[in-house]
Parts: sequence; C-alpha cells; structure tokens
Amino acid sequence: MNTFDLQKPTSIEGAAALLPTSSDSRQAVLLAGGQDLLGELKDGLVEPERVVNLKGVAGLDAMNWEADGSLTLGALVTLQSLAEEPRVLEEMAVLAEAAQQVGSPQIRSVGTVGGNLNQRPRCWYYRNADSVCLKKGGTHCFAQLGENKYNAILGGGPTYIVHPSDLAPALVALGASAVLVSPRGRRTVLLSEYYLLPADDGITRETIREPDEVLASVHVPVQRQGMRSTYIKFRERGSYDWALSSVALCLWMSDGMTTGARLVLGGVAPTPWRCESSELLLVGHAVDEQTIRRVVDEALRQAEPLSDNAYKVPLTKGLVTRALQTLAS
Amino acid sequence: MTSARNRPEWGSNDTHALLNSDIPRVDGPEKVTGRAIYTHDIRLPQMVYARLVVCPYPRAKIKSQSYRKARKVPGVVHGAPFKEVGDSIAFQGADGVVGAIVAETPEAAAAGLCGVKIDYEVLEPVVTPEDALAPGAPVVGRRGNVTGLSSSGDRAEVEAALSECAAVVRGTFRVPVQHHVSLETHGVVVDYRGGNEATVYFSTQGVTGSNREFASHLDLPSENVRVVAHNVGGGFGAKFGGGIEGRIACELALELRRPVHLMLTREDEFLMAGNRSGSEQRVIAGASRDGVFKALAVEADRHGGVGRGALPTPPYIYSVGNTYSEIRSVHTATDSSRAMRAPGHPQASFAMESVLDELAYGINMDPVEFRKKNLADPVYHRQLDRVAKEIGWLEHPHRTQPGVPENALAVGIGFGVAIWGSRSRDITVVDVRIGPDGSVLAATGVQDIGQGARTLVAAIVAEELGLAAHEVSTDIGDSRLPPSVASGGSVTTGSLGPSVKDGAFNARVELAKRIAPMLDAEPEEIRFADHRVFVEGDSGRSVSWKQACASLGKDPLQVSGRFQPHLRDQGIHGAQAAKVEVDLLTGRVTVLKMVSIQDQGLPLNRMAIRSQMNGGMIQALSFALFEERVLDKKTGLMLSGNLENYKIAGCGEMPELVAIIDDEDTREAVMGMAEASNIPGHSAIGNAIYNACGLRLREMPFTPARVLQAKGGMS
Repeated sequence: MNTFDLQKPTSIEGAAALLPTSSDSRQAVLLAGGQDLLGELKDGLVEPERVVNLKGVAGLDAMNWEADGSLTLGALVTLQSLAEEPRVLEEMAVLAEAAQQVGSPQIRSVGTVGGNLNQRPRCWYYRNADSVCLKKGGTHCFAQLGENKYNAILGGGPTYIVHPSDLAPALVALGASAVLVSPRGRRTVLLSEYYLLPADDGITRETIREPDEVLASVHVPVQRQGMRSTYIKFRERGSYDWALSSVALCLWMSDGMTTGARLVLGGVAPTPWRCESSELLLVGHAVDEQTIRRVVDEALRQAEPLSDNAYKVPLTKGLVTRALQTLAS
Repeated sequence: MTSARNRPEWGSNDTHALLNSDIPRVDGPEKVTGRAIYTHDIRLPQMVYARLVVCPYPRAKIKSQSYRKARKVPGVVHGAPFKEVGDSIAFQGADGVVGAIVAETPEAAAAGLCGVKIDYEVLEPVVTPEDALAPGAPVVGRRGNVTGLSSSGDRAEVEAALSECAAVVRGTFRVPVQHHVSLETHGVVVDYRGGNEATVYFSTQGVTGSNREFASHLDLPSENVRVVAHNVGGGFGAKFGGGIEGRIACELALELRRPVHLMLTREDEFLMAGNRSGSEQRVIAGASRDGVFKALAVEADRHGGVGRGALPTPPYIYSVGNTYSEIRSVHTATDSSRAMRAPGHPQASFAMESVLDELAYGINMDPVEFRKKNLADPVYHRQLDRVAKEIGWLEHPHRTQPGVPENALAVGIGFGVAIWGSRSRDITVVDVRIGPDGSVLAATGVQDIGQGARTLVAAIVAEELGLAAHEVSTDIGDSRLPPSVASGGSVTTGSLGPSVKDGAFNARVELAKRIAPMLDAEPEEIRFADHRVFVEGDSGRSVSWKQACASLGKDPLQVSGRFQPHLRDQGIHGAQAAKVEVDLLTGRVTVLKMVSIQDQGLPLNRMAIRSQMNGGMIQALSFALFEERVLDKKTGLMLSGNLENYKIAGCGEMPELVAIIDDEDTREAVMGMAEASNIPGHSAIGNAIYNACGLRLREMPFTPARVLQAKGGMS
C-alpha cells in the first residue's frame, strides 16, 4: 500500500469537492465501510493519492421512511442495520434477505449500502495484482479463455466479470434509484440504469458514476400493495461467499394469477440482470410447472457460457424455479 | 493407581485414574485467550521484519530489476535481489524467491515490496500435466518431466481375470493439489546480533536437531544455536526443516546483526511451502457375481510439481485377486509436494473406494458387505459394522442401488476405510524432576503442533504419581532439552509416550525408595494415588504428596526416561461413513453427518483422540467439497492465492460429527492415530453422493459445477 492523503470532509458537497475533476490527474477514492477498498489498497489494485473518508458526513448513515411509504437509505447505512430493520423485513423482504446474505457478520456490521453497490469485481484475474487484464488497462480479458468458472454467462464481452453486489439485484427489482452529488450538482438515476455492460463503456468501470460524483443515497419507492418478494443467493461455500448465482424476485398475485413480476439475476452478468421478457411470461398466468419452465428458459435464453461456467445455466434455472415456487405457495 | 512392577507397564485400559479419559489440554486456556506465544508473535528489541520477493510466474527470465524505490521507502533498512538480470526462474516455489525486503515495521516491509520493480520475460509455464506431457514441452526437472516409473503385477493375468468378472468398472479419478493451510504460516525469527550465539524461534514439526541446520546457515557451532518452538500453529507435514525462508532469515541476520522476523504470507505459503500432490488414476476393476474383488489395473500419475508426489502401490487396503499397476511422477513447474497427513493415502483411497463401491452396486450387493468380503482383517469388519449402525445404514431405504430424488433432493450414505503404520522411533529422552515443594517438571524436546503433546507429557507423569495433569509442569519445544521425535507420520505418541512413561516410572520408584522407611514399608509396597502416598493394603500408613516430597530435603529428585519398545505398538485401521444430501437443482452437496471409528491401543487422552478424528473428518470434508489450487494455464499465475479463492470449509459446512474410539482394541500399548482419520472421509462423501442419486463423481472437489455437469443438465 502506498502512502496517501486522507481527507475527512463533513458534508457531501465537501466530499465531492475533494474528488478529481476531468482536468485533474490525481487519483482519489471514496472510503465508506472499507470492506472492498482496503482489500484493493492492500493488493495494490488502486494506488490513490487521496482517500476521502465519508464517515464524517453527518446523516449519511440515516435510514428514513418517507411519508408516502418510500424509503431513503443513506450511503453509509450498514448492511446489518438494513438486514434488521423491521419494516424492510416486512415490506421489502427481497432487500432484507439480500443484506442478510452479504459476506460474514463482521463484514455486514461494517460494510455499507453505498460500498456494496459500488464494489469492484471479484474476478480472479482482476484481483491478481500481477495480471494486467482488460479491466486494468490491458489488452485481453484473461477469463474469457482462461479460468472462468465464476464469470459471466450473460451480457459478457469484451470483459466477463460478474457484478458481486447482492443489494443491487434486490434494489433494481424494487425500482430503486440513486442520488449522485458532484460539484456540478445533483442527479437521480434509476439503479437499473446505473450499471454499465462492458460493451457500453463498462470496461474499466462498472457504473455510470463519474470520478467526481459521490453516491449519497438510495431511494426505494413505495411498492404496489400485495407484493411478495425474496432473494435467493447460491454460494459455493455456504459459510460466506459470493453468489455463484442469485435471484431477486418480486411477485404480485391475485386469485392464483400473477398480476406483476420483477425478476433480476445476480452473479451471472456484469450488471444486475433484469429479465423483463420472463416477467411478461408470468403476468396473467398461474405459477405452475409449465409457466415456470417457460419463464426459466426465457431468462437464460441468451446465456452464452464460457468453457467452465455452463453449470450456471441449470443452476440459475433451479434458483428461479425455487424462488417462484416459494413465493407462489 | 499404580502398581509396583519392576518395569513400566501401561496395564489394562480400565486401570487408569487419568489416562483413557477426557483430559482437557493443559495449555488450552493459554491458547484460546491468545496468551500463548507462537513464532509469529515473537517481538524482540531491534527486531526487523523481512518479506520475500516472490516471482509470480513459474518460469520466467529477469529482464530488468530495481530495488532503488523500495530502499527509499521510510523504514526500509535493506532490499536486495538474489538473482541477476538475465537469470531464470525454473519453477514456482523455492526457485521463485528472487529477493528480500527488510524494514523496521511489517507495514514498511509491505510498502517496500510494492517498490520493487521487476520486469520478467514470461516463459511457457508448464503448470498442467497435459502441458508437461506434450511433445516438445520444456523440461521441468533435471531428469525430465516423467520420472519414477514403477510397475508391479502381471498385466496379462489381470486382463484374463477381468474377462471372467461379472462386473467390470472403469474410471479416471482426479484429485487436485491441496494446500496444508496451517493456521500459522511457515517462518522463523532469527535472533542473532553478532557474537557467537543465536536463538531461532521456529514454527516447526521437529525441534530436536534443528539447531544444526540454522548453525550451518549462521556459521556457528551447533551447540551455540538454540531453537525454540513453544507453540506451533499446525504443520500437517509441511514443516520439517527451515526451508529457503529459514536460510534467508539467517543470512539477513548475519548481514544486519539484528533479529529478523520472517514469516510467509498466505500467498507465499501457497506458492512455495509445499502441498499434497494431486493425482490422476486410470482404473479398471472387476468382481465376481458373489462379491469377490478379482482384478484391478491402475495406471497412475503423481502430480507433485517439481517434487515426487505420493501414492501407495495398489491394491490399497483391500485384498484383490490380481493387481497390475504402473505409477509415475509427471512434473510441472510448480511447487514441490511435501508430506501431508497420510501422504498419498487420501488420493489412493478416493480411486479404490470409488471403484469398490461401483463394483458392489454393479452386482447388487450392499457396499458394506462387499467391503467386508474383501477385507481379511476382522478389525475392519467390526469397525464397518459400527459406523454403519451409527450412520443409520441399516434403516437406509436404498442400500444396493441409488435413491430417487424427491423435489430434486436426494440423501445418501457412503463408506471408506483407513490404514496407517503408526511407527515409532527410539530417540526420546525425558527428564523428570520432583521438587521438595511437591512441584513436578517433565522436560523433553518434543513440540506441540496442536496435537496435544504437552498435555500427553503432563498426563502420563501425573497418572504415575497420582496427581492431576495440570499439576505437572512441562518444558518442551526447545533444542536444548533432551531429544525427542519430529512429529510426522503419527509417530509422536508411540515415540514419546513410552519414554515419558519410563521417566515417570523411574521417578515413582525412586521416590518410593525414599518414602518407604518413613512409612515403615518396603519400596515395592508404596502406592501413589489421589495426591497421597501410602502402603498397599494399609491406607492408615500414608502421607500427602507434599509431605512425601518435603522428605527429599534440599535437593530435587531427578531421573530420566528412555524409549521402552514394549510400551508401544503399531498398525491401525479405521472406518468412516458419511451421509449427504444432494440438491439436484443447484448441485449443492451438503454433508449431514460423518462417523469415524479408530483403534489405537491404549487411548491416552480420549478427548484428544476424538479431536483428531473430528479434525480428520473436517479436513476430508473440506477436501471433498472445496479445496483446489488453481493456476492460470497460460501464465502460471496463482489465482487461488488467498483464503477467499482457495476455499476451505467454514462453520456453516459442519455436519454432525461422531467420533468413536474403538475400545475393542485392547492392546496395552500406545501409538498415534491421526493420519488414519484423514484418509477415507472424502471417499465416503463421494460414495454417499452416488448412493443418494446415482451420480459418480470421479474428480474432486465435488462442487455444484461438477454435480450439475455429471447430471448432464447443461442446456
């Protein structure tokens, strides 16, 4: 780890002002819970001149229920407090379940909403300090033809990372948006539009966040009445691990028929992977064996596995099946 | 209660006051509260911290290198290469250590390491056996990429026997390279500040005699070098000898005249500190209709990197009519294998137990019955019956064919057996000293690597003298103490126990001689129990332990114990069973329960033995489901160089573990048992997967990907 200048601003605007502008070549990074950043620093993956610690920004750890029933999560809300919030458990199970399954208890007690959404990929080649892969300015994605059992089956190319966030699929399923603050002002973007596919300029970054922007908060809109939701995360090692594949599912049913659905996959694509065409196949149908088969086939129709990750196709189909069976029963 | 025979005897297993019961570790509280000092924890005045510069590529040439920036990092006191520009790195491991950085703090050393700039020409890595065997492959070892070919048996006879078999199975079994993953990595602290003496703190499995190696590096007389290993955070076979890191630490200390702390990082550990060799075994096996294992042909490759690797010659444990085998080492440019718990045995077990299982199902025979039919030794019969009963085999609904999944979930049971030599060495000397204040000290150069050697020393002496284990002080883990055995191959108990017993016996006899006149009795009539010394048959004539010791006057009583071959034996068995649930929708294998039974003669400390069995089952479970070294085939970079990517089982994976001590083994002798409990667990898990759902997994680990691949569920 190299030496760096540690700044502790007291306002979000002050934090943004410490970030580099386009004409500024200094590297600066944001520190929230540090669960990803400290690993990146110690492994020499980032060598910033400045680290901007957000912990001094008052109110950034607040979780607020608005009068209309929507929820605002400050960037520094910890995963543990989100997992334990009674109204989240009751009204947005998909989000609570996603938070509950991140990392280990130690990581959840320190890791934050903002950090979880903005963490960098776990790809073996990206994380290996000696490998200069495409994401790190190299010429090749080594996973494409190398060891790729954990890499993308959907949306890959030219890089094949999977986005490691558990909250992201859940929040995309809930239609959440993010508030970004920079010296140029403030903007709100849907989380479904926050993440970038590699082919859409998402090679050395995973999100549309500009270098001088801070993710200040996440807003989860009030959900239509009667929503059932769940997040199923499948880990190779149950004790603590990243998702080999995960499913965020929100379902609305009436008289045994699906009236609405949102299905988002994690761990299989460089972004949270919304399955809109599968959602349409659910609406107007009972969740029976035939519908489930059509839905899971459609969800994975575009899958293009690499040499070692074809198993993610049946695995993900199995998880979507379980999620649908769980919510429909 | 002890008797007064003229030579030490353990006596039958039901005569002990302390031994053959659960004896909590005497150093348990120290260890769980963090007070125990390991090599990693040593802090000395003026000490500096060293880090190794390790080439990440197995084969490379140094095009340019600069340590200038590293040396400028505040706190860095030394930074230098071991290789010149133009030098090659021939293989991952010791040859990849190309330099060192030394600093005042660990942080400065790490920062210094970042400042080292080396430009490598990356050469063809040769990290897979396929690459090593390819025509024109670069030669990795001095003697070529294939060495050590040995064959046994007559192939024609085996083929003839196979042609008459009712069931014939074929399969290629692959076992990956596994790391030891000791909690404490390899390393030393060399305390040399100039002059003629040095102390080396050393995380080792063999203290006695290790001073000679360091003395040679330091160019000092061996008696002037003291090696200390009071606590060792595991070794599992990888910690014999100081290694290249030990030599480098000595050289740095010689140059800097300051104590040098050099512990490997986890990544270094995985790159250069040894491993369990992988293997590929191509097997054909046949059995008759009535369940006789008739024929076995095995062609096997050991994958020990630049090392030899390990694999016993078939047939493994079971009796087979005709066996033919061909075994060779296929060398890759990767770190050399080292000994690891029962070297070669878990690999052999996986192939043997799997084909055996397949044969049993092939003739519709209960796999437990098939095993017993092909195991001559009746100990295996009782042990298999016991684990079968404990795991619920007799009530299990499908014993001669796989089950049918319900809601994509299937439950199955599998088995495996073990064997180990448990030899011992005549080397250990134990000094026992009894003070006039009643204190007792037992001293010998053995090391506690987590197996409980310290407790064993205390408990055997305490038993003899009628005391509690914690009342006997121990002095171990020091090269200046009387010699003891290096801990590997389960030799510690059989080599140490008899000497401790002899020392304790001699102390008791000597003390009895001193006390006898006080109690108006013959020395042979004196007994020791419950902190009292008394005359046999007349408890009225007695003194307390303290009073007895006070009679020694000013000088302590000092005696020694030596190895007594009649107090040890060798040769153990062992059987295990595993019950798993397979989720065919996701490929998840969940181990629900494991059962292990082990014979070992006199069970000195039942708690320690059950701990060893639990440890063996857990390591086997972890091996079965997770562990696999992964190297990039194109560059050779290690992709699994940390405990995020090299996965080991955690609390969430723990099944119900049942460890059974085989009390039908009534040998009045001691021997080690740990290696055996590491051998069959993963085989039992693989067999349980088959019993559950009919999927035969021939490649470890049994990951969701492999289960789903085997299921052929690819779309």
